[in-house]
Amino acid sequence: MPVQKILTFPHPLLKKRANKVDRIDNSMKILAEDLIDTMKAGPGSVGVAAPQIGVSLSACVVDVSENRHAKENNHGLLVMFNPVIISSNGNSVMREGCMSVPDYTGDVERATDVTVRYMDLSGKIQTVEASGFEAVAIQHEMDHLDGILFLDRIVSLKTGLFRRKNYS
Amino acid sequence: MNRDKVKHLAHFAVTIISKDRPGIVADTTEVLFRLGCNIEDSSCTMLGGDFAMILIVTHEKPFSKSRLSDEFRVLQERTGLVVHLRTLHEDEIAPVKDEGELCLISVYGSDQPGIVYRVTRALADNMVNITDLNTRLIGNKDEPVYVLMLEAILPSGMTVESTSEMFETLRTELTVEIGVRAITPVSL
Repeated sequence: MPVQKILTFPHPLLKKRANKVDRIDNSMKILAEDLIDTMKAGPGSVGVAAPQIGVSLSACVVDVSENRHAKENNHGLLVMFNPVIISSNGNSVMREGCMSVPDYTGDVERATDVTVRYMDLSGKIQTVEASGFEAVAIQHEMDHLDGILFLDRIVSLKTGLFRRKNYS
Repeated sequence: MNRDKVKHLAHFAVTIISKDRPGIVADTTEVLFRLGCNIEDSSCTMLGGDFAMILIVTHEKPFSKSRLSDEFRVLQERTGLVVHLRTLHEDEIAPVKDEGELCLISVYGSDQPGIVYRVTRALADNMVNITDLNTRLIGNKDEPVYVLMLEAILPSGMTVESTSEMFETLRTELTVEIGVRAITPVSL
């Protein structure tokens, strides 16, 4: 399957909530392959969401297994349709970048642990418990399905690591 | 603005310092907007009771520094802010590409002369490029504490661990805490 072009902001699809996937048919299998191929083609990319390749459907892929941030635990390749976070815990800050917002990075706070329910490529409902970098990657890709970019979540300016504070 | 299509003819570095008040950025950028200048890059922050702005400004048409200077003089006379302009040369325009590991170095301890100098000299001698730096005096009058936070790119061959070890002598000599942590932006 061909590698798809990654849309960059201000493409309107990136700020639009994606539609739910009703059932897994052949077109969804093709979409999943496109997402996987596009992810693998991106240098260091660990995930792609369908809106990033111009498809406004709730589908994304994540694979952090090759990344040095995910030495601990990961679930390899995850292909998720209609993913929903059913519980989350903790928070940590990571400096994120996004293929859809080139040349910019920012500190984003995410839950450290998430439990996600989704439909897999065979149409079965699955649950995955992710933590660390895998949890961050899942939350970043799921944000794309809601039309949210990491720019919407930046918690501090890069020079704001010890921001002046008024206690009054 | 499509950067690929537009060739900017004039590049300036604009530095502005003013006693802090609401409206400094608006006043400054109004001048730039009226002249048709673009703000390509900028960093602005409060420093003490002042507000400091550093901007890289471009113009698509031939544009003289004196024209910019004349416009800012009016603002300077009206509001008291201090403006400094510099024309950028060709080799200053493109940012230096970030290669190597990005790390955050935090230094803090009892205030004393030379903290910033000693730490940054050690980095410079090892070809470590600083990308951001903040300092602040905290604590109280009896026990002032100096805090230095910087981000830097380690050249190949240096790691977070080796950088931390490099500071071992300074830690003892200055009796300050020096921490080195990887930031490593993640591409998602």
